[in-house]
Amino acid sequence: MSGSIQNLNTFDPFADAIKGADDDVQDGLVHIRIQQRNGRKTLTTVQGLSADYDLKKIVRACKKEFACNGTVIEHPEYGEVLQLQGDQRENICQWLTKTGLAKPDQLKVHGF
Amino acid sequence: MAEDDSIFDPSAMKKKKKKKKTGFDIDAALGDGGNEASETTESSQTGGDKENQEPSKFDDFDGDLDLDSKKKKKKKKTLNLDELESALPDAGSGGGGAPGDGEGGDDFDDTFDLDMDFSKAKKKKKKQKANLEELVAEDDSKKTEDKDTVGEDESLSWLGSDRDYTYDELLTRVFDIMRDKNPDMVAGKKQKFIMRPPQVVRIGTKKTSFANFEEICKTLHRLPKHLLDFLLAELGTSGSVDGNHQLIIKGRFQQKQIENVLRRYIKEYVTCHTCRSPETILQKDTRLFFLQCETCGSRCSVASIKSGFQAVTGKRAAIRAKTA
Repeated sequence: MSGSIQNLNTFDPFADAIKGADDDVQDGLVHIRIQQRNGRKTLTTVQGLSADYDLKKIVRACKKEFACNGTVIEHPEYGEVLQLQGDQRENICQWLTKTGLAKPDQLKVHGF
Repeated sequence: MAEDDSIFDPSAMKKKKKKKKTGFDIDAALGDGGNEASETTESSQTGGDKENQEPSKFDDFDGDLDLDSKKKKKKKKTLNLDELESALPDAGSGGGGAPGDGEGGDDFDDTFDLDMDFSKAKKKKKKQKANLEELVAEDDSKKTEDKDTVGEDESLSWLGSDRDYTYDELLTRVFDIMRDKNPDMVAGKKQKFIMRPPQVVRIGTKKTSFANFEEICKTLHRLPKHLLDFLLAELGTSGSVDGNHQLIIKGRFQQKQIENVLRRYIKEYVTCHTCRSPETILQKDTRLFFLQCETCGSRCSVASIKSGFQAVTGKRAAIRAKTA
């Protein structure tokens, strides 16, 4: 009887938090930046991907997908940062959402 | 991009639309009234013009409405007549001639008052019907109608008579009063947030000059330092303001690109996040920046400017030489 009445159901206020922890690894924003190099060459950096992800594997996949070179850089403050050659901002945004590594609203694209 | 555009002239378009809508709604509503009255007349229309002379015959309500429409017609005569002539065959195209209507209107008024009223009523109905059906009426006709209907004559048309005022009339009236009392109201016309485009010129091959940097800072009411920090962080380069108050940025940038970044700056640090008004103050409060809106009084914190991770793009040997 009490089950049918919504107000009488017991409600776990932490249900969301518990659920959120295990099915969504990525928290916080992923900053995608672009930097100009010499000439019309550019670099794309991806900062803020969760440390639970294997960045090496990600970079390997990205390199293959975007046909560019890339590397993982250890930074004392920002942790591991992906660095890809060329302007891969669009590509990386689409790829991260497509693979489900990050949600579109977690991506923040900087630069021009 | 569309969003950004709207930010540049915050809500100007929306407001316009809204305004138009009120005018339009009123019109449509009047049309409703007119329609009810007109159904009777329309049916009679085939029979002849006699009936419309005494619309109050039918019943009180109809009579009232008809009176109303007549009044309106008289007041608006100049425009309506013209429209009528051109628009009777096709309701949509009626927007046409505001200029040439004066003489014809008067003539008709004096001589064929009743007839004219009737035909006008007909036309009105038609028009309104068209409007109701299409809901997306032609801009021209809408504009002209708006001009007429939003005026006081509409809202005050019941002042002389002892009939009941309709909801829409009251609505127009209250909006008119509101607009009169505070011209720069939110619902009223709002001045567009107009900015000059940034003047971006290349200096040599490796540097870019942002010539009206100082001016843009002034129009945004922001400290040059803050905008400078943001620009450099976003673009991931270095730069400085030179003696002529122009910003020299390292790297090649086009005006379009700088505009994009400026748009983002305005969205984040200039327009109020609640009401989108550009009249805001940026205050620093215990290491955090707060955006205080002058219009709606809201206050919210904004993200701090961080340049984040910067990859090494220069010559490593040079860096090593510098540090060592």
